Amino acid sequence: MSSNTTSNDTNSLDGYSKIALIIGIIGIGIALAGFFMGVSQNDPRPLLGYLLGFSFWLSMGIGMLFLIILFYLFDAGWAIIIRRQLEHAVGGFKVLALIFIPFLLVAWGVIGSDTGLLWHWASHDSILPGGETVGNDVLYHKKHGFLNLSFFTVRVFLFFGIWIVLAESFRKFSYTLDKDGNASWVTKARKLAAVGIFLCALSATFAAIDWFKTLEFHWFSTMYGVWFFAGSMRAALAGTVIICILLASKGYLKGIFKPSHSYLLGCLMLAFTVFWAYISFCQYFLIYNANIPEETFWYNIRELTHLGENSSWWYISLGLIFFHFFFPFIYLLWYKNKFGVRIIFISVWILFFHIIDLYFNILPGRITDPSADNPLGYTVREFHIPITGFIWDISMIIGVGGICAYVFMKNMSRNKPIPIKDPRILESINYNI
Amino acid sequence: MTKEFGQMALFDTPADIFHAAEKVRDAGFKKWDVFTPFPIHGMDDAMGLKRSRVPLFTLIGGIIGFFTGMFIAWYMGEYDYNLIVGGKPYFSPIFTFPVAYEMTILLAAFGTFFGMFITNMLPQHYHSAMNYKNWPQITDDKFALMIESKDSKYDKEKVKELLREIGGKEIEEIEE
Repeated sequence: MSSNTTSNDTNSLDGYSKIALIIGIIGIGIALAGFFMGVSQNDPRPLLGYLLGFSFWLSMGIGMLFLIILFYLFDAGWAIIIRRQLEHAVGGFKVLALIFIPFLLVAWGVIGSDTGLLWHWASHDSILPGGETVGNDVLYHKKHGFLNLSFFTVRVFLFFGIWIVLAESFRKFSYTLDKDGNASWVTKARKLAAVGIFLCALSATFAAIDWFKTLEFHWFSTMYGVWFFAGSMRAALAGTVIICILLASKGYLKGIFKPSHSYLLGCLMLAFTVFWAYISFCQYFLIYNANIPEETFWYNIRELTHLGENSSWWYISLGLIFFHFFFPFIYLLWYKNKFGVRIIFISVWILFFHIIDLYFNILPGRITDPSADNPLGYTVREFHIPITGFIWDISMIIGVGGICAYVFMKNMSRNKPIPIKDPRILESINYNI
Repeated sequence: MTKEFGQMALFDTPADIFHAAEKVRDAGFKKWDVFTPFPIHGMDDAMGLKRSRVPLFTLIGGIIGFFTGMFIAWYMGEYDYNLIVGGKPYFSPIFTFPVAYEMTILLAAFGTFFGMFITNMLPQHYHSAMNYKNWPQITDDKFALMIESKDSKYDKEKVKELLREIGGKEIEEIEE
């Protein structure tokens, strides 16, 4: 009887993972088609969509890696059954590294003619608002020591190297512990976590600066890396909640993932909701208070069109305040909302608005057009224009999601659903608030 | 003869008191309590307690704090004494936000603190349960359960019988 159930479970898991893989390949295929179309037509919009879909899942992965590290650092007993799901998930970094390659190909000029198509600084001939080229830009010369293609490429390898090595090490420690039951793996993991938290913090900060902030490389903000961290943690916690409750309802974690675990994850979600708002507001507040044109332009292009009217980003930014902070904050204050369907609802909600938050940070750009009939010499890329842009964004988000889900289920079918030989596993299973 | 406050029984282990509490809960008593030397996980459910009302005090404190902070900034900058600082408007919810935020935290903390005192009816320097002759042991290694005479279902003989049934020892009437 029990063996039948097991084989059925494995079969259905295989079925799901096949579906996820097919969806992933189709989604990324469409996004890649858009990517190459954008490259050949010198239109950066599909590339931004590709970056957006990639960064959504990357942020979730980074957040999950942080969570693993934090659970080890604080020696959290309750989180051990949850940590295993994260270990399955962070196996996705290898795939994410492959998905990043097209950006390097464009930046190095392997495909397409404009190396500065996505990141303007990558080409000395890109024209900036005001008519100057990047090569003649004073700020670029000042930042050149950091912002040059060779160092940028080295950093890309460094970031993915750090994430992959950390993720694979934690996975190896934990999976090996399942087999040999040697508790020294936990001590090893804790030592690695102590080093890893610094590496992870630095790499996440500089990755956000490199990939998103340098889209407008004139801008200065010291909060940007922390913003990315905060967003990542929210996405990771929302993803973790969905994974755990889904697995509990499918039977893999039935009776193991309990309301107590759900409650604590909900508390963390509430904390990081406030943290995200704190950081996002601080960034805005400092720039607003200092009122220096070099910094305020980043928010100006997110508020006004070149005609001085409220642009689509103005509505998006207000939406972020009320729906990405205020509503989840009030909702998660309630004890009852931290369980079952209710926490699933807010997790999906947070993930959706995390995507909108990424839109807000990645998409608005100054499109230089010296012939444009306005004194600024540029127009701002609106949220909804062109409407076809959403095809690339959505297919990329679904596509990378499919691949990540495939990786997750593959890892799940090969390993135990919980680390049964962890010295503190009973503490986690019997956890009661 | 002083008035009777209730009856109290002694238990030896956390498991005993836990199951005893479940039985008293199922018997439908409302005014009763459990005394233990340390917190026992799941006792809230076993006693059938509702969730604490302290969060309500916190929320009210926080909301009052937020609007107080905003009001202070508005009153000073916009209403009472206009000053242009840093080229900003007299009042704007943006630069006053840190003030309102800090006030929210402060008054939410006060709300929690005083809410705890109010819901627990503290300070309370005397409680009739302390008249129990085994009271000192409850701060050490014994567990006690008390049913108060104020309960609508209270009946001296039946309660005594119930306490004996659920495994209580040293059953004693407590004076008010």
